[in-house]
Amino acid sequence: MDIQHSDVGDVRKVVLAGRLDTAGVDLIETRFGASIVPAGKNTVVDLSQVTFLASMGIRMLIATNRSLSRKGGKIALYGASPAVREVIDTVALTELIPLADNEVEAIGIVAG
Amino acid sequence: MEQRRQNSGLRSAETTDGKLKLVLNNSLAAVEDGRSEIIRFLGPLDAMAQNRLEVLFEELVSNTIRHGFAKGSDQSIHVQVERGPAAITLAFEDVGRPFDPSQAEFLEGFTSAETARVGGLGIPLIVRLSSALHYEELDPANHAGFRPRNRTTVSVAIQSAAAEEDA
Repeated sequence: MDIQHSDVGDVRKVVLAGRLDTAGVDLIETRFGASIVPAGKNTVVDLSQVTFLASMGIRMLIATNRSLSRKGGKIALYGASPAVREVIDTVALTELIPLADNEVEAIGIVAG
Repeated sequence: MEQRRQNSGLRSAETTDGKLKLVLNNSLAAVEDGRSEIIRFLGPLDAMAQNRLEVLFEELVSNTIRHGFAKGSDQSIHVQVERGPAAITLAFEDVGRPFDPSQAEFLEGFTSAETARVGGLGIPLIVRLSSALHYEELDPANHAGFRPRNRTTVSVAIQSAAAEEDA
């Protein structure tokens, strides 16, 4: 599991790569929160290189979204594969964190 | 019969009569070690079916280890994997605290970031991504050797070989 972050204007961009399963979340959960919450910026998360998502990964997204929302920031996801999208849809995560098709759309959501 | 190696999450693996039989240790390493054996056994699958299978395996094994077993105990999970013409079936047996995922309640949807729950998210995945789900609480006295208390069986529908060729 790998994580990288950068800024696109005023928006924080986080790129995740690998499996967001129990082992993968253990590896990156602390870095994921640290790359998003202290900055307090609206954030987009690129899931296009995430090959697997299970409940521990969803839990990580929800917990980080909560911490960022306390600072007034928003998160949007984008680039999910059909398999990852099915998991997101199954738990209705998009009621909490929007899922866009691409980066431009995701930035529009958090900046809007 | 083919027997495979042991490692931290996997106590044993063998293939008998076209079925894969795994014994998993009480360790979260069992999730990855068991998954690798199952993928090797099943061979190519369509991507959505494989993902559903991996999600079900991950959720059921990790739930049992986190919530059903005593931490650090020598308890184990026995898993049998069978590929049928229309579905793959996983049967899990363990000696942990009884838990019926098919009857477990879960909340629908979310209302706000502040109140969003972070627990129990595996249950809707198990219920909704399986094409069949069955739980049975067993009487350990009725079994010789390994004496399971729980048996959970899940299935994932797959395309037939002919349909895969047409796809």
